[in-house]
Amino acid sequence: MAYLGLFHWGWLFGSFLLGLGMGWIAVVQRGEGLSKVAARWLAGLAAILVILAVARVVPGRFGYWLDLGLILFAWYLLGCAIGSFLRNWVVSRQPA
Amino acid sequence: MHGLFRWSRKWWPGVIPLVVLWVIAAWTSTVPLEADLAAKSGAALKDIVLDQTKISADGRDLTLAADAFSEQGRKSALAAVEAVPGVRLVNDETRLVPEAKPFVWAAERDVARVTLSGSAPLPASKGKLLEAAHAAINGVEIVDQMALARGAPQRFDDAALLLLDQVGKLKDGKVTISDRSVSLTGMARDLGGREAIATALRNLPDGFKVAANDVKAPPYIFQAYKDPVALALTLTGYVPDDNVHAAIAQAAEHKFFGEKLVDNLKASLGAPTGFSAAVIPALGALARLSTGTLVVSDREVKLSGDALYEGAAAEIRAGLGKDFPRSFQFKPEISVKPAAAPVDPTVCQQLFSDLLAKGQIRFEQARATLDPDSIALLDRLIEIALRCPTANIEVAGHTDGDGEDGFNQALSEKRAQAVVDYLVRAGLPASRFTAVGYGSTQPIAGNDTDEGKAQNRRIEFLVR
Repeated sequence: MAYLGLFHWGWLFGSFLLGLGMGWIAVVQRGEGLSKVAARWLAGLAAILVILAVARVVPGRFGYWLDLGLILFAWYLLGCAIGSFLRNWVVSRQPA
Repeated sequence: MHGLFRWSRKWWPGVIPLVVLWVIAAWTSTVPLEADLAAKSGAALKDIVLDQTKISADGRDLTLAADAFSEQGRKSALAAVEAVPGVRLVNDETRLVPEAKPFVWAAERDVARVTLSGSAPLPASKGKLLEAAHAAINGVEIVDQMALARGAPQRFDDAALLLLDQVGKLKDGKVTISDRSVSLTGMARDLGGREAIATALRNLPDGFKVAANDVKAPPYIFQAYKDPVALALTLTGYVPDDNVHAAIAQAAEHKFFGEKLVDNLKASLGAPTGFSAAVIPALGALARLSTGTLVVSDREVKLSGDALYEGAAAEIRAGLGKDFPRSFQFKPEISVKPAAAPVDPTVCQQLFSDLLAKGQIRFEQARATLDPDSIALLDRLIEIALRCPTANIEVAGHTDGDGEDGFNQALSEKRAQAVVDYLVRAGLPASRFTAVGYGSTQPIAGNDTDEGKAQNRRIEFLVR
């Protein structure tokens, strides 16, 4: 993973920024977002993909693409989380 | 925390550009990543000896195909590739190089090329052998048919390099290493090549032995030609060393008289054993011929030419081979020189005097035994005596002034008699010769110098 991090730092940073932006928006966006059921399904799917990657079951290039996708996704989630926290912090400091 | 869950349900729209990003990243990075991993793996394998190494990358998975020279080498190659950062899986397609039993390596030389064949233990030693072949054998094409194999004996490289040096000394031939036994066949380039190779083979690494050394050498030739017209003795060909050279030149000087010595001999290794023991007596026989050629080729002695009379021819044919070392063969082709026309006794006397002015009959010191080196001279005297069959001849012995008169008198008589005995044994009638001794009473030079004494010690032939 460290190798992928070094090799693809540009792409990872891109997905982190994308996540940061998305997280920033998500705090103030109106609407319900994904339903709980859909979120669970998606979490399950992500877990399965992570298991496949860790178990190194997917061969060759597909295996590499899976690793790449997951690591981009991980940085995206990290970006989202930080973005949301920051927005929330900024919003809560503004006088009502 | 609750907030994070709430917000995360609204994060999904960003996944769409993320997927686009992912696709682009995958599209652009796969090939460079594969190349990078393959290059890094190649570098990791640099210090491990492998043959036919092929690394192919498929995503982060590598396939390593290679021939290893030991199980340990194979495992360490796999471990090295697995340890390369970024590599996910390694497909093992390595195998061990086959083991050769017996481990055979050969270098064969013919006119146009040198072919290296059989097995070499490692790519490095293969390269080393090829390089050594180029260095040892200049200007000849080197053909590499060597395959790699395990099972080489220890210090194989040293043995093979030493043998390649020997191939340089061959005109054609083959050297083979089979496990630890070495065999050589072929023809040496130079006369001493066989000996040089035999000497070099003593430096083979421990444990290696020479099973067969059938290297032949060009024949070792020594030639002597006695030319009665130019009055020259020409020596050509080879002698083993300077000592033998000097001994042969000295023997030629003693045995021949009146002939100029033309010495074109060269020193070279490779002489058969007993060379000088065969050549020196053969030169003595050549001296007895009126014209003749002596060819010593390896262990064959060929003497051809004309003897001065029948008795001498028979003696040379029968007697000479006995003087040679056993391994030598003697092939005489001796004919007899046609008898010269008879001449007047006065002419005979002239001929005797002329001849004895050129050379003296010699004896062992203070004894009456004929020196074998004087036989050629005696033959010539006999030839002259045969030309005047009616003349009676006095054989007169003289000594120098050293010693007691009585002893000198007796010695001169005995020496004159020894010469007469020799003439009679050669077939001349005893009645024609009288042996007379004069002791030191008739000096022809002063007895105060060695030179004068040498002139005074003499045998004279006087026609009566």
